[in-house]
Amino acid sequence: MNAPERRASMAERRPSALDATSPFMDYRRPSLIVPHLAGIEDPLPETTPEKVDVMIAGTGLVESILAAALSWQGSNVLHIDSNSYYGDGSATLTIDQLKQWVQDTNAGNFRGYENAKLQVSSAIGVNSRFQSKDFGIDLSPRILFAKSDLLTVLVKSRVHQYLEFQSLSNFHTYENDSFEKLTNTKQEIFTNPSLPLMIKRNLMKFIKFVLEWENQPEVWTDYADKPVATFLHEKFKLERPQVFELIFSIGLCYNIDVKTPAALQRIRRFLMSFDVYGPFPVLYSKFGGPGELSQGFCRSAAVAGATYKLNSKLVSFDPTSKTALFSDGSKVLVTEQVLMSPSQAPENSQNVPEQKYEIQRLACVVEKPCSEWFGEGENAAVVVFPPNSLKSGNRQAVQSLIMGAGSEVCPQGTALWYLSTTEVGVRGEMDLDAALNALEESIMRESSADLENDESFIQVGVNGHLTLNSVKLGQSFKEYVPRERLNFLAKLYFKQRTSTPAFEVVDSGIFDVNTTNKGKLIPGASDNGVLYTSLPSAEISYDEAITAARVLFQKIVGSDDDFFDLDFEDEDEREDESAILDDEDDAMNMNLAGDMSAEPVEFAGEMEI
Amino acid sequence: MLQFKLVLLGDSSVGKSSIVHRFVKDSFDEFRESTIGAAFLSQTIKLENEPDVTIKFEIWDTAGQERYKSLAPMYYRNANAALVVYDVTQADSLAKARSWVEELKSKVSDKDLVICLVGNKVDLCEDGSEPKAVEKEDAESYAAEHGLLFHEVSAKSGSGVSAVFQQIGSKLYAQKKDSLAASSQQRNTVNVELQRPSTNDATSCCS
Repeated sequence: MNAPERRASMAERRPSALDATSPFMDYRRPSLIVPHLAGIEDPLPETTPEKVDVMIAGTGLVESILAAALSWQGSNVLHIDSNSYYGDGSATLTIDQLKQWVQDTNAGNFRGYENAKLQVSSAIGVNSRFQSKDFGIDLSPRILFAKSDLLTVLVKSRVHQYLEFQSLSNFHTYENDSFEKLTNTKQEIFTNPSLPLMIKRNLMKFIKFVLEWENQPEVWTDYADKPVATFLHEKFKLERPQVFELIFSIGLCYNIDVKTPAALQRIRRFLMSFDVYGPFPVLYSKFGGPGELSQGFCRSAAVAGATYKLNSKLVSFDPTSKTALFSDGSKVLVTEQVLMSPSQAPENSQNVPEQKYEIQRLACVVEKPCSEWFGEGENAAVVVFPPNSLKSGNRQAVQSLIMGAGSEVCPQGTALWYLSTTEVGVRGEMDLDAALNALEESIMRESSADLENDESFIQVGVNGHLTLNSVKLGQSFKEYVPRERLNFLAKLYFKQRTSTPAFEVVDSGIFDVNTTNKGKLIPGASDNGVLYTSLPSAEISYDEAITAARVLFQKIVGSDDDFFDLDFEDEDEREDESAILDDEDDAMNMNLAGDMSAEPVEFAGEMEI
Repeated sequence: MLQFKLVLLGDSSVGKSSIVHRFVKDSFDEFRESTIGAAFLSQTIKLENEPDVTIKFEIWDTAGQERYKSLAPMYYRNANAALVVYDVTQADSLAKARSWVEELKSKVSDKDLVICLVGNKVDLCEDGSEPKAVEKEDAESYAAEHGLLFHEVSAKSGSGVSAVFQQIGSKLYAQKKDSLAASSQQRNTVNVELQRPSTNDATSCCS
């Protein structure tokens, strides 16, 4: 395959590399494609461009990363989405948008999504206690490991400046009807009184090994095709609770059969990420997960010159004339490649790769802060239900991500619960329900356990006297069984398919379907020559996204050398020179590091000096 | 130093970008080579009426995403101020600016959002090359009715531009100085700054 001609790389197009005879850097010069100010460019034509290098349909996370990578590399990108919002299968939606999404899904409008069921309490709506836009529900929630390729790209591309991140340190494993908080630091392992000395020593030995596991094949080659549980038990004499923690909470694996190398890689990912930014392994973005990141990468792409058009659907692409036709009747000549998310496939599409793998998802809005599960000063937690820990006798793990109001995805007094499993069919839904029950029982028990702090228990009368709330008198706190049920403000079930296996990052083979079939066009198909991306996988972290975008980038550009080959001239340094009050900046940062800030979003969020 | 997010709105070709160009350029003794890839522009000013107060504007341009009404929620989020720009030589441009004001009010829930309506390109009318299509009085009364600040400017000559930012800065400062002092203890979650890893190496715990 001939690689398309390489355009000048980002570095070559940097202003200092150009002949800057004028200090104003004539940005109208045609050779300088990149706008010379952030997002500030000459007025562009009102019409859709007539000719682009690459057309991408769907603003999901992978597509958005790709759009930004291609735009900064110098490609002329048209990026569309058939929805009125950014994010596609990665979107963060309000309750009203979710209602629409469920209708569209069940009408068959989004390939790969089916069987969506949504209940919304009357407490959410116009003139109700909560408003639709108070909520940001992720269709595919994700956590970000502190040491990961996506994090590197976020910083390098400066997309992180559009976003705010918070830490997540609490990982709970559900065992024997209760939550065990993960013992994941050296200190905790040493100080945990319930761990026998021998176990402590073996655990430390394993942790030391796993950080360098690839360099020590002699330790694990015999177990390369065996389940990691066997390896941990035989080689490191670890016992069931530690083995389960390592596989399911630290490794975030889905079942007990996971092979040794795959599991070691995942366990290492967690441990490597620990202490990169502080005593926690993962982060998440405020206001929503992948939907926020998608918006950030799309903005970055727009700054680099990409054209954005929501509410726009591809009707067909003709690979011979290279013409893309849209639902509004407009046409665009696409010189290099059309890419599309399967969920945005046009009618009569016949080239969509098989979506073999199933994910069942459940998202709930509950009227409980759920802060019992969060670390100090944190607003989120991960709860894992290992195989066979639930009443449904689950064969696969159920993973759940809990987000509190402090993450700005739901109002005060509420929380979001995201559950997912790779179990298929009816069993999957039963497992999700069983996990939901376990979460519900747990939070009702835990939130009523600290009755002393419960204002309803001791009440101050009108005359200022303290009175005990008689309803709760006489009850043993230990055996207290909450009689109230948890109030669910919304519940959403849906099934999603993907071509990416649960355990692996994207298989580049699926992207070959159309390129290898180039000569054999399917008569009547609306999507000949279209390269399909992969829908979000079951993975709870962002780990697949960059790999998928990079593979696609390489297929289009011919090499991945220029994939976010960004070396922005250091604006920070210059800002320091020209900043009016350096000292005050420092003072502000000190304060941030300490605990102060009035309006986090306005004053703290994007301090970048 | 106080930092505020300011967003630009208005139809394509009303000169949103030029106003910011002018603002950023004029506030510096010499022209700073602009930075490719800056996430947004920053500009720092001292308030004329409060010389001890320094305000940093973080200015978000639409990056062309307004053309097909494809601005993301992220764009509006936590905006403290907005410039809604129209072109005084285009008769329908005030009506379009009004729809941007409506859009803004529906997207930004902050009641304190400072909106400034800005009529650009007055230089074209002053030098007689274009007739004035939007009367100052009409725009001014619309702005007054809706609680917007109002200015007519020329990005080309620079006239009126710095006054826009001075007035926005003063208004924001007046709004925030009390709440700043009062609410300093409210926040218990600190954001993680991705460009600032801790010095602790991940592997050091085990070596």
